[in-house]
Amino acid sequence: MSDVLIRNEPVAETPYVAAGVTISLALPMQRLALRARRAEDLETVLKVTLPRKIGASEGGIACLGPDEWYLRAQAGATIPTASGLPVAITDISDRSICLVLEGPRAAEILMSGCPLDLNKFAVGQVARTIYETVEIIIIREAEDRFHVELWRSFAAWFWIAMTTAARH
Amino acid sequence: MILIHCPYCDEKRPEIEFVNAGQAHISRPLDPSSQTDEEWEAYLFIRANPRGRHHERWRHTYGCGRFFNAVRDTVSDKFETTYKAGEPRR
Amino acid sequence: MSGFRLETGGRVDRGQTVQFSFDGKSYQGLAGDTLASALLANGVMLFGRSFKYHRPRGVMAAGSEEPNALISVDRGPGRFTPNLRATGVEIYPELKAVSQNRWPSLKADFGAINDRLGMFFPAGFYNKTFMWPRSFWDKVYEPAIRKMAGLGDAPTAEDPDHYAATYAHCDLLIVGAGPAGIDAALGYMDTNKRIILIDEQDELGGGALADPALWPWLERSHKALIDAPNVTILTRTTAFGYYHDNFIGAVQRLTDHLPELGDAPREKLWRIRAGEVVLAQGAIERPLVFDGNDTPGVMLSSAARSFANRYGVAVGKAVVLMASHDSGWHDVFALAKAGVGIAAIIDVRESVDSALMHEAERLGIAVHLNHSVMGVTGRHSVRAVQICNNGDYLGRRIDCDAVLMAGGWTPSVHLWSHSKGSLKWRDDLGAYVPDLPNENVVCVGGCSGDWDFGTGAIIDMLPTPKDQSRIKAFVDFQNDVTAKDIKLAVREGFRSIEHIKRYTTNGMATDQGKTSNLNGLQIASSALNKPVADIGLTSFRPPYTPQTFGALAGHAKGALFQPTRTTNIDSWAQAHGAVFELVAQWRRARYFPKPGEDMHAAVNRECVAVRSSVGIFDASTLGKIEVVGPDAAEFLNRMYTNPWKALEPGRCRYGLLLKEDGFITDDGVSARLAPDRFHLTTTTGGAARVLNMMEDYLQTEWPDLDVWLTSTTEQYAVIALQGPNARKLLEPLVEGIDLSEEAFPHMAIREGMICGIPTRLFRVSFTGELGFEINVPTAYGRALWERLMAQGAQYDVTPYGTEAMHVLRAEKGFIIVGQDTDGTVTPFDAGLDWAVGKKKPDFVGKRSMVRPDIVAPGRKQLVGLLTDDPNVVLEEGAQIVADPKQAVPMTMIGHVTSSYWSQTLGRSIALALVAGGHEMTGATLHIPMPGKTHTAKVSGLVFYDPEGARLHV
Repeated sequence: MSDVLIRNEPVAETPYVAAGVTISLALPMQRLALRARRAEDLETVLKVTLPRKIGASEGGIACLGPDEWYLRAQAGATIPTASGLPVAITDISDRSICLVLEGPRAAEILMSGCPLDLNKFAVGQVARTIYETVEIIIIREAEDRFHVELWRSFAAWFWIAMTTAARH
Repeated sequence: MILIHCPYCDEKRPEIEFVNAGQAHISRPLDPSSQTDEEWEAYLFIRANPRGRHHERWRHTYGCGRFFNAVRDTVSDKFETTYKAGEPRR
Repeated sequence: MSGFRLETGGRVDRGQTVQFSFDGKSYQGLAGDTLASALLANGVMLFGRSFKYHRPRGVMAAGSEEPNALISVDRGPGRFTPNLRATGVEIYPELKAVSQNRWPSLKADFGAINDRLGMFFPAGFYNKTFMWPRSFWDKVYEPAIRKMAGLGDAPTAEDPDHYAATYAHCDLLIVGAGPAGIDAALGYMDTNKRIILIDEQDELGGGALADPALWPWLERSHKALIDAPNVTILTRTTAFGYYHDNFIGAVQRLTDHLPELGDAPREKLWRIRAGEVVLAQGAIERPLVFDGNDTPGVMLSSAARSFANRYGVAVGKAVVLMASHDSGWHDVFALAKAGVGIAAIIDVRESVDSALMHEAERLGIAVHLNHSVMGVTGRHSVRAVQICNNGDYLGRRIDCDAVLMAGGWTPSVHLWSHSKGSLKWRDDLGAYVPDLPNENVVCVGGCSGDWDFGTGAIIDMLPTPKDQSRIKAFVDFQNDVTAKDIKLAVREGFRSIEHIKRYTTNGMATDQGKTSNLNGLQIASSALNKPVADIGLTSFRPPYTPQTFGALAGHAKGALFQPTRTTNIDSWAQAHGAVFELVAQWRRARYFPKPGEDMHAAVNRECVAVRSSVGIFDASTLGKIEVVGPDAAEFLNRMYTNPWKALEPGRCRYGLLLKEDGFITDDGVSARLAPDRFHLTTTTGGAARVLNMMEDYLQTEWPDLDVWLTSTTEQYAVIALQGPNARKLLEPLVEGIDLSEEAFPHMAIREGMICGIPTRLFRVSFTGELGFEINVPTAYGRALWERLMAQGAQYDVTPYGTEAMHVLRAEKGFIIVGQDTDGTVTPFDAGLDWAVGKKKPDFVGKRSMVRPDIVAPGRKQLVGLLTDDPNVVLEEGAQIVADPKQAVPMTMIGHVTSSYWSQTLGRSIALALVAGGHEMTGATLHIPMPGKTHTAKVSGLVFYDPEGARLHV
């Protein structure tokens, strides 16, 4: 028996390929919930610039709310500490998985259950929203590539939803 | 499904991203222990049920996560305005 | 083929015959036919039996407004669709259609006796007649009435089809692709607007499909729209509802017209958000009200024109027109041109436009002005009509095989009304037309009253010399409502059209009165002697036409019905034969049966293993919230009942959460990781609710606090190791944590490594045994579980499920919020007053704990129950009484909330909420259950190890 524990992912690690879209599981990454009343307080701790507008992203950090940012970085990066400061940094690396939808039909497939107008969603734009009844975060990485972040326990269901929509 | 303007996101988003959170502008008394039974009853249970203009709270649960206030017409189901929590009643 | 297919004309493909069946008999149609046109071409006039009187019915219309020709299509088990309009069913090879509401056959229908007894079935008949005895309604009257009166049969097998759904967005949505809708699309085609054009038919064109002169234009337009990249055309798609903010629901039928079903979804639900909507739904021709107007062969004049010009089918060989409107004359002229024999034109008006008279004369058609049809001869088909002069009622008979009704036009304002646009009455049209919009929408073409059909007389019903109480002049054909019924309603005192509608059921059938509403209004108006505009109009509601449940459910079926949340360890449980249960949306292992074990045997074994050695449990579904910030302790102090500020980092505390009304809403053990960081746990089902409640207080009551909440439920897989051997099992795998009782006592947390993975290790117990809850990043949950199973083999480590967990906690008297509490239980009621910080000035719910009702005596309080017969396991939910001899209804003083067989104790145990229970220790209570009333004695809550000695080892 190997001494190293193996990660167990909730969906297939081989991509699903359909006409016009490929659906695949992104590699593990670090995810941090960043909270602060003033963005400057976090910027001092993290030594980065935070986007100020909800829905904007910059350098892997998306602004999700007036005091909330979502950082995605390479897995295993050091988690900064900010003890005593009026900020909150919480490790949620394993809370979500990320599905990558790539291809000309990517927006159409997401819109099978997401009520946002994704054809008018700019590259770089981010939205925490809903797919039918499940919370998701959509990040448009490129014209024909979307990242969808969702809580791990919903992943198996969402995988069926995406692959079914891709088949339809 | 209506569209609701979130005052934090500053855009109209679909209703299913939101959850209604009851009547607006009911503040928790600063010192509940000093409340009479009648005052506490009013705070806990007594709510308006107007025909027409109604102040209520909504939360952009599947969005920015913020609670905010809204004026909605209970007859037409149209939102007159929405504004951030803590702002004066409109 | 019989002689009803015209030699030429129509859009059907004369080179492609299609074999299909109706009521088991085989027929031939042509590709492009509907079931209605194909059967008419075969000389079939009888399509069904009416709802109430079982009268023979034929086709009345050519489109989705058809009220009569409802049939069922049978595509095999689970694919039986009732109540389809034959006018909208496209035929394909081997289509199997059957008629409805008849027994034993369509032609010899037993239920037609209702028609002979019709004088006994006026409006309100059922309500008035079947009142007594009241108990007969459910068991006798209603089933009998339902058997006789009805539409098609609902399918009984599960629907094997699947359905698709989507959202869509556009700048301009056009509903209806008749000439007006197509013109609108062409007009905007060259803008950069995203356009969706919807039509319920299989091809674009609407009314133009019945007008060959427009076909070249139609073809050019169609091609232009197909080529436009910004135009999406959805045919066979019904916009069924118009909702707020220009949100339109539509169903696209994808396979119903195909001979082979394949793997495609049957229908697709479109949820469309449009910037602007153009409604071009057209207008529906109005029938005329006269005796026998429902005889098969009596139909709308425009329908006959459609059948001739679009499908190449003559609806008769000697056709009579009964008109009150010019449009019927034009239809008849078109029919004559197409080769249909015309017997006569009858018009209720004294005079008509001279051009119409000249054309009739040129075509050699006999014209009878100022005449009305007073009766129809023929039962299963028309053989003749009796007409009479409106003044002196002198009658004569005209032999014919079809009667066309041209009663004017009703704009289709259905979707406009869904959108809450207002309507105005136009006397000249005798119809309501759109007035002020409530959304960003315009109506164009026929549905706005803009048409070139000519003019007409607005009448309620045709004049007749007959006794009005003896005739059957139908208004609502689908619900069998006659003019007499509406007049009766008025005589009985109904004044509002909303009441008249409900009393007579006029307009309440599946067609929502598309052909009947306005005639009903006119008749009520005459009877009340009030203008129509003063009577109002009933509301149209979605759906515009009936839709399948499958289409409305969309893809939310089977595995996609609703999300089932699974933990990282779920796949191991599945592979090891676990029996699962749903807890909130989570799928949890309930027990792990070994071969031959039932649930009780498995649960007994699992419980004993935990008490005697060690058990392993997947607790990943527990809600978790990370509370971070300088004011974290202050915030928790305000939320929970107990004090939090003095809790040292590294220690845990049981937290009890109330709502402001003082009742328990959640509980859980939480840990302080650092001065400004807490790891909270909540119940599985309460996770989202608790986070929402805390966010609410934080955002709106105490926005000054510097503290933030993050859900970490899914960041961690949680494995509970419980039992005397838990430490021994764990010790070799953990690095950097001293597991000894002294270094790591009960209710503490440590951070370190396990099997090379970082862990938050809790020493907590929900079983009363020495226990640990191991939190690791979720993806490692299953691997760690397997490592613990391997490591624990020497202790016979036993996986246990939620059922054993329930038994173990009940033996210790630990409550489950939502099972032992029900939203009306205070900490005191639950015996948890020890968890309330008496010295705290405030916390959520504190003030309510001295509300008059909460300090009043006699509240239901949580107690233990020990049955006198230790082998009796009470039913959860069973009611409790003090005096079993009391007459029914007895005074119920409480109920059993939890009840189990305890293998450890060798007897049953139960928890119960009992009025004044805390004062009743030792008292005998009675629990009536099926078969026997059991007795039990009130006990304390803790049944096992009351000193807690097993925890501190």
